[in-house]
Amino acid sequence: MNETTRRLFLQQAGGAAALALTPSLAGRTLVLDEPLQVALVGAGRQGRAILAELQKIEGLKVAAICDSDASRLESGARRAPGARTFADHRELLAQGEGLAAVIVATPTHRHRQVVEDALAAGRHVYCEAPLASTIADCQAIVAAAARSGRVCQAGLHGRSNPIYKLAHSFVRSGAIREVVALRAQNHRKTSWRTPASDPAREREVNWRLDPEVSIGLAGECGTHQFDVAHWFHGKYPRRVRGAGAVRMHQDGRELADTVQCTISFEDGVELLYDATLANSFEGQYEQVAGTMGTIKLCGTAGWLFKEADAVTQGWEVYANRQQFHNEEGITLIADATKLAAQGKLKEGIGLPHPPLYYALEDFVKSVVAGAPVACSAAEGMRATAAGILADQAVRSGATVEIDPSLFEEG
Amino acid sequence: MIVRRATFAMGTRFEIALAGEEERALGDVAEAALAEIEEWDRKLSVFCRDSLLAHVNRTAGARPVRLDEDTFELLQACLAVHRASEGAFDVTVGPAMRALGFHDAAAPLAPAAACFIGSDGLLLDEEERSVRFARPGMALDLGAIGKGHALDLAASVVRQANGAVHAALLHGGTSTVTSIGQPPGREGFDVAVTLPAAGALPERRARVTLSDESLSVSGRFGRSIEKDGERLSHVIDPTTARPIAGGALLAAAVARSARESDAWSTALLALGRRPQGLGPDVTSLIVPLDQAGAARAQKLRAAGGRAAAFHCWECQ
Repeated sequence: MNETTRRLFLQQAGGAAALALTPSLAGRTLVLDEPLQVALVGAGRQGRAILAELQKIEGLKVAAICDSDASRLESGARRAPGARTFADHRELLAQGEGLAAVIVATPTHRHRQVVEDALAAGRHVYCEAPLASTIADCQAIVAAAARSGRVCQAGLHGRSNPIYKLAHSFVRSGAIREVVALRAQNHRKTSWRTPASDPAREREVNWRLDPEVSIGLAGECGTHQFDVAHWFHGKYPRRVRGAGAVRMHQDGRELADTVQCTISFEDGVELLYDATLANSFEGQYEQVAGTMGTIKLCGTAGWLFKEADAVTQGWEVYANRQQFHNEEGITLIADATKLAAQGKLKEGIGLPHPPLYYALEDFVKSVVAGAPVACSAAEGMRATAAGILADQAVRSGATVEIDPSLFEEG
Repeated sequence: MIVRRATFAMGTRFEIALAGEEERALGDVAEAALAEIEEWDRKLSVFCRDSLLAHVNRTAGARPVRLDEDTFELLQACLAVHRASEGAFDVTVGPAMRALGFHDAAAPLAPAAACFIGSDGLLLDEEERSVRFARPGMALDLGAIGKGHALDLAASVVRQANGAVHAALLHGGTSTVTSIGQPPGREGFDVAVTLPAAGALPERRARVTLSDESLSVSGRFGRSIEKDGERLSHVIDPTTARPIAGGALLAAAVARSARESDAWSTALLALGRRPQGLGPDVTSLIVPLDQAGAARAQKLRAAGGRAAAFHCWECQ
């Protein structure tokens, strides 16, 4: 443990003691003992969500914000008091003395330029996922990260989410035994369109629907969920089949609003993926089915469903359970043993912060204390590549073979 | 053409109706406005552990919590209504709401912690844009103003849609409604309110014409629960940490913003009368609770700058 790490550790421990008066210890946020300045590039909806979470970290200041759209820049500034505003990220980098890190939340196809420029300027980078809209751009980001020696974290939240980490440790320790099938979905009812304040910016603002630059539902939403599958299964895909159509939003769009994909892993296990903008039933989840049980993960909550012949663990006596039609799930609760001992198990249900908070907290810990990067650019590239190739399969309706060298380590 | 969209948020259904020429443009604006409401639902919910409000309630007793500009202004507005309402409106009733079971219907009835309640302990730092609680154990519940706040910000999304929207009506659970512009050839949107019978006063209807204004209605048992055979009102008296004993049967408020009308309908319900400090920019209509009050009232009359916009009549 180096000096900075120890200081951070002591800070957190101290923070816990100071908060002992509040009803629950859980949910405390990071306190930095030395000020840290960061910048946000891209102040759309995701950028604004990032600002809300960054404000919870004491000692961190968002010193600059950048967006090419004046109205978005203004609404971003309302969420980051005192931040300087820029329309061009290069100006921000040139004038941003004292900035330790840059958080990139621009449209996906604009990530590469910002990430390369920020790393070249010596800043640490957090880049939202998908990393980029082409595999070549992903590889360029990975190479730039390696050259820079700076922290470069891909914004795949599952890797930092305490419930997902707990579930991952369960799967790794054999709680569901052999993985036999994976399933994930992302259901929302939305046009995915954004009103443009200026008609000339209509196409730029609605980049998700622009077939030239967008990687569709499989890329934009799938990437996050494919990463969960990669991580939990510990393997990478070899081929993907797909289909899609415009089922609801007949507004002249070319990109499908409803897609299905089947991703085959190197061991033959398959992930069924289903995403739509026409129906919101059951929202977003990932599911890992094993011979002794099933894990279901929904962002801020997770459950373990056991097979009847699975062994009973000692802690199950005090576990919180939830009924889903004929199935009974054991609620996955971080620090369950500690909470149960205090008779506060129910207070631990769900996450105290959105998953995004934990991803950003991990990034800040890597920047200030050298903590291992929660999700490297290379790992981000693997998930993004799966998303890009799944989108190709959806568009062509053909089976896309995946070159295993894409997923090679180092 | 009118485009309607709806979403479930803040424990109720929000609906938006937009009038204009082009269906796709109206649909886009409606979705963006609903997204704003959903964002504020996630931020202000007392039911979700991961909301901003839950973070504030966990943390502000120990150290200041920095806020975004909109949330900070919301808390400033809460304190302004608190002062003007002689303390009847108080967002620090969180511990009482929790103790009475409004946050979890299955929770046992616990003694409410009156010592944690009181907006004097809600400390806002103008410079840092942060909030702190003077007494650890305090907790905010923005149920009496959150819907109005979300509607105001959704309405500002609609107003930014330069020209695409001619007129609009947005409501949250039919208890707060906000309007933009007027229907063609009309002075404003006509909204009807049912006023319950009180003592000798029969049931009535009131109609109010809204023009770039908001209307909120608070009923005594608008969101009540049953505990130990007792029907508990969701409006809490901050001095007793119990559901209000006096007050009004129903209160309606018209104001420029939905945030104000929402907060004032609750404040007026708790007070049962129009306070001295309330200016003409908030119009009120109060149905008294008790027989004596109803007898004194004889006739329901609105008060405030827009009192003439209210028309009451008896139901047959």
